[in-house]
Amino acid sequence: MKRTTSPLLLAVLVVAFALQGFLQRTVIFDQWAKYYNPGKGKVLSTMMSPDQLLAVLAGFREITAGILWVKADTFFDEGNYDAILPLIRLVTLLDPNEIDVYATGMWHIGYNFTDEEQRSDRRYLPSALALGKEGCRQNPDTYELFFEEGWLWYHKIDDDYPNAVKWFLEAQKRPDMLTARKNLLGMAYQRTGEIDKSIDTYYNLYADAEGRYKKESAFGNHQNRDTLESNLDNMLVRKVQRGYQAETEHRPLNGYDVYPPFDVGFSVKATVVEPNVIRFEGTWNVLPVGTRIRVVLRDLKYPHAKPAGMEWDFSNDVNLDPPRDQTFMQEQLFVRNRRFNKKVDMSKDPTMYPFTSDNYVLEFYYNPRSAPPHIQDKFGWSGEGMTDKNFLNLNVREGQRVMFASLPITRDMIKRYGDWVDKTPVVKTPNYQESSSGADKDSDAVLKIPSLRTLGSSTVK
Amino acid sequence: MKAIFAIASTTVGEAIRRKVLLIILLIGVLFIVVAPGLGILSARSETTVLKSFMLGVTQGVSAIIAVILTVYMIPNEIERRTIYTILSKPVQRWQFLVGKYLGAVMSLLLMMAMMSAVMALMFFLQQQSKNAAEIAELLKGPMMYFVQMSLLAAVAIFFSTFVAPLVNFFLTVGVFLVGVFFNPLFQSLQDNQNTATLVKKAAWAVNTFLPNFANYNVQNPLINQNSAIQNEGRYYLGITVYGVVYICILLILGILIFDRREV
Repeated sequence: MKRTTSPLLLAVLVVAFALQGFLQRTVIFDQWAKYYNPGKGKVLSTMMSPDQLLAVLAGFREITAGILWVKADTFFDEGNYDAILPLIRLVTLLDPNEIDVYATGMWHIGYNFTDEEQRSDRRYLPSALALGKEGCRQNPDTYELFFEEGWLWYHKIDDDYPNAVKWFLEAQKRPDMLTARKNLLGMAYQRTGEIDKSIDTYYNLYADAEGRYKKESAFGNHQNRDTLESNLDNMLVRKVQRGYQAETEHRPLNGYDVYPPFDVGFSVKATVVEPNVIRFEGTWNVLPVGTRIRVVLRDLKYPHAKPAGMEWDFSNDVNLDPPRDQTFMQEQLFVRNRRFNKKVDMSKDPTMYPFTSDNYVLEFYYNPRSAPPHIQDKFGWSGEGMTDKNFLNLNVREGQRVMFASLPITRDMIKRYGDWVDKTPVVKTPNYQESSSGADKDSDAVLKIPSLRTLGSSTVK
Repeated sequence: MKAIFAIASTTVGEAIRRKVLLIILLIGVLFIVVAPGLGILSARSETTVLKSFMLGVTQGVSAIIAVILTVYMIPNEIERRTIYTILSKPVQRWQFLVGKYLGAVMSLLLMMAMMSAVMALMFFLQQQSKNAAEIAELLKGPMMYFVQMSLLAAVAIFFSTFVAPLVNFFLTVGVFLVGVFFNPLFQSLQDNQNTATLVKKAAWAVNTFLPNFANYNVQNPLINQNSAIQNEGRYYLGITVYGVVYICILLILGILIFDRREV
């Protein structure tokens, strides 16, 4: 007997099929994508072995992330840093609440990719920042990644301090922030030139510390309160001696330590001593140790470049593959006896210094905001006590007096191609003068650093 | 209805006497018991690892039980000829199929309830948590897994009406993996600007019409309770209704095929 299919059953089937499709599309999928898919679908595009993938599918996301992170640890021990990058990405996608992995990942990407002379590959920095921002978005209730992001701006980038303040403030909004770490906001405010805010921060921290000490007179609480008191004391003295109050009230700076501004007398000569090896020699009239002059060598048209730096925060995507056809070298030139002399060897790391473009620029930069306190005691927080008759610049960093110089250089010069095979390429500032004896010890232009708690001294002998 | 429940209760009795299922269940329970010792895998994330592992074991073991329990259900009845005894009585084929399915689902419920109870107990002992809400929160995972496994059992029952058990095993596991995979893959394709329009449309169609098991993987917010889920109840209700509707579809299709089959 031939069986017939009930039309009612078929109708039910069609309606049910349509209903499940409707539910999937309108009720379920968007909410699933928003709340239940932390990897945002990127898990499939990452490198995972089939067994790890199966473990993830079976629901062991966090376990798999933990095991992968243990594996990353062995790569750390072996110094196989490149292998760690995809693992960091994978672990953070599998388990976006792995705060330690985000923090370690940021540090690793930002600091550990170096050349043979331990210079960081700064092309990775935007990725480190992007990883931190992603970590903050995924873990908005804890201070840790906000603090780490701020620290990267404060310590590694060491130039764009308003961003450091922004992230430290975000960290402070989280109730779990460690007290000891809150001090850093006061330091960051000093480097943005917002001295009153720095002092306010220290006052608030001091009041908290005092409260804790009154509640429990433990040694740690006592020590913390005393440290804050000392910081506050120093800040108040410096505020006066560096003429900050007078400056904000538009009074003349005569009589303060920052007056008259001291001419640092910068000059530089860059010599390509071998292909991809450049020696930097030059002058800087500050005798006390502690001066670091930044030198940057980059493609003339490096994307997102700015004078002696970069717009580091341009990306929200973690791209672990930096622009491999572009060069961005940054180094510090340490001053001793009022001169600097450093050879920068870029010949051993062609992936970091590809030199594929025709034109490059050498930039030299000094910002008093990054200077140690004893130098700032003369130069002030924003360079009020510093000048340079050739290279003082008021434009490259808003509201700051910095030293900035740039010199063009070509690929042929750097690599000693063409006309430069037998000829030593040299680029220098017009004021550079050869000196066989190094520092001119009898020069009058010797900076005297004023001491704290002394009467303001005349700064130039 | 009486016939359906009679078949279902007999199926439950058969299921709890099958040693292979009991051994798998025992292994699952043992894994859950040792879970607290695995906190060492991740510093500062012991609770995360504990929850992740226990929920993962519950889901994995339940999936294995669901597949093994159901792929052999109809073929065994035919092979042992016990189906003739049943169908010679006033029992329709659809009643037999639905009864078998309900029996499988009740067996799953029993076994998953046992694993969930052990999981809650181990969590309580490890965390010393007297907060019932915290444990109840964790149990949302197994509740959704139960709907997921019921859907998986329906897939297996559907295939068992027309393919051999071994083929059924691979088909069911394949559909499960695709169903788990497809949400992330679909989103990847949707988000990727380089994906061809045709591929996007194909992905949309597959995502809309194939059973979607990934919907039930709700463990991430349960493990990491940092984000507030809006309309959580609506979502759970939505995926439960979706599961029930899809189960009905598979059972109706199974009935249509089984009705025409020579046994």
